[in-house]
Amino acid sequence: MKGTLGRAFATPWIWSFVGALAVWLAAVFFTGGYGAGGMLTAALSLAVFTVVVGVGQMFVITLGPGNVDLSLPANIGLASAVAMTVMAGDDGRILLGLAAALACGLAIGAANYLLIWALRIPPIIATLSASFVIQSIDISYGRGLQIKPPPGFADFTNIQVLGIPILAVLTVLFTVGAGLALQRTIFGRSVLAIGQNMRAARLAGIRVNRVRFATYALSGTLGGIDGALLAGYFRGANVDIGNEYLLASIAVVVIGGTSVAGGKANVPGLWGAALFLVLLLTMLNTFGVSAGVRLVLTGLIIVAVITAAGGAEAAR
Amino acid sequence: MTSGIRILAVCAIGSAMFAGSAFADTSGKKIAFSNNYAGNSWRQAMLKSYDIVTKKAVADKVVASADVFTTADKDVPTQAAQIQNLILQGYDAIVINASSPDALNGAVKQACDAGIVVVSFDGIVTEPCAYRVVVDFKAMGTQEVTEMAKFQPKGGNLLEIRGLAGTSIDDAIHAGILEGVKAHPEFKIVSSVTGDWDQTTAQKAVATVLPSLPDVIGVVDQGGDGYGAAQAFAAAGKPRPTIIMGNRQDELQWWKEQKAKDGYKTWSASIAPGVSTLAFWVAQQVLDGNKTIPHDLLVPYLAFTQDNFETELPNIPNGGVASHEYTQAEAIAAIKANMK
Repeated sequence: MKGTLGRAFATPWIWSFVGALAVWLAAVFFTGGYGAGGMLTAALSLAVFTVVVGVGQMFVITLGPGNVDLSLPANIGLASAVAMTVMAGDDGRILLGLAAALACGLAIGAANYLLIWALRIPPIIATLSASFVIQSIDISYGRGLQIKPPPGFADFTNIQVLGIPILAVLTVLFTVGAGLALQRTIFGRSVLAIGQNMRAARLAGIRVNRVRFATYALSGTLGGIDGALLAGYFRGANVDIGNEYLLASIAVVVIGGTSVAGGKANVPGLWGAALFLVLLLTMLNTFGVSAGVRLVLTGLIIVAVITAAGGAEAAR
Repeated sequence: MTSGIRILAVCAIGSAMFAGSAFADTSGKKIAFSNNYAGNSWRQAMLKSYDIVTKKAVADKVVASADVFTTADKDVPTQAAQIQNLILQGYDAIVINASSPDALNGAVKQACDAGIVVVSFDGIVTEPCAYRVVVDFKAMGTQEVTEMAKFQPKGGNLLEIRGLAGTSIDDAIHAGILEGVKAHPEFKIVSSVTGDWDQTTAQKAVATVLPSLPDVIGVVDQGGDGYGAAQAFAAAGKPRPTIIMGNRQDELQWWKEQKAKDGYKTWSASIAPGVSTLAFWVAQQVLDGNKTIPHDLLVPYLAFTQDNFETELPNIPNGGVASHEYTQAEAIAAIKANMK
């Protein structure tokens, strides 16, 4: 690769946006231009939920090899039930419900790190086993029933201005904040430093355990708020509501150009990757391929995008 | 003609036929229920129905005990190990909602060889020695299109929402719908998406495909996905189509609201979670020495129409699903209906 174009494509996150644009154009081409705007609106509405948990997962993965939060799906499920139960269908209790979801997520994140730190369990095992416990609590707490959100909250998650969901705008602002926190705050720089070399970070005076604790707590909290938002948008909490975010939260981090080895994070790429995943589903649904073919193609295309991004990096 | 009425009619005949049949022989028998998942409203209703019927059966000394064992996940090895434990614990019959149609066959065969009666339902097992209680899903799919033709006599474009790919249930309902569309050529399925019987998945799938579709006048689906579809149409600002419902409380509640607003008409059908209780009675009947029971039992689905869904609505817990618990007489009638 040469020249300006080469340099642009050497930025790892550009590939996620290129991918998103490509699948969108393919879908629009297929319909002859019909529904192009509607597809983008739907993609923005759905990408929000992946981006929110993606930010949490990105911070965790940036901590370095072995760090990952596998408890997010169970966390989202429980938080959605807690938020909807506390709101109890009453518009006056929306803030209380959101606070409960945040607290629930925070507690799960803290418990995750307690397992990792106190019992010295690798994060992958700790968060996975925590998710079984959380899911069991959720099943006995919610009895598998769908709990409805208050009408005001449900409407809020679906307000659109000129086809742009307000929730997406708020999430863009949030990711800008997350980007600043990563690059411009002591916490963010510490996360990056730990990911690059934990020992060096410790010797440099970074309180490693405290930063790691805060990172897992942050991921848990974002899972909690995501659960509440999902329950609002999909009109009801349920145990399985977060299932797809196990793969999706990790996929957007990786496709978005964050290094799986840690120490290098990328916030804009999360958006590109989340939009790419939703638009990929849009494209395949528009083409009308069967469920089996769709799963195979999704896997292959994700591999292709990651390889393209990795290849560009190597060329640099 | 609704299946609810059909169940009642069949029951009336059945109870007349079997009135006075003795069943004291099973009072010492122990029946276990091996269940592989409890995390959604359908499974919760299934367990609740089972609990109501078996508690009464134990109290009435029809059977000695009826215990429920649920494994944490939809995991095949866990359930296979669980079945082996149940064999060792000396149960006389095992009612099973299986995590896989064929992967549990080894464990099921072991149970049969140990002289244990195995009755599967919902998630059935293909092992020939086991009994299978199967709902007539194909008829349900066909009936969806027949009902749709009543609400949309002019025909038009349909959107199909399919269930979990690779399951026999998804294939059967889909085949029924295709058959229905063949009989009603005024309808055309313009798109088919996967909703996994889950509101969230369905809403997401419909939301992604909707912008590219021409006007859709009806949605044919598999239950648990109707409410999500309604939300997706509303979010996209598209006109509300006739959406076939699946007996969930939120679906019927939404239907009621739409009906109150402008007389919205549709139809609702699904497998009743209480079919677990039918499986229980089948096990009890086999233990009772009834050797003529066929190993494959086809039972009707549970349906609600414009006229009777509002009566049922208060009986369904918030966020739950409509159920129907079989009495012993109803179960005998359902078995009898399969012996013709």
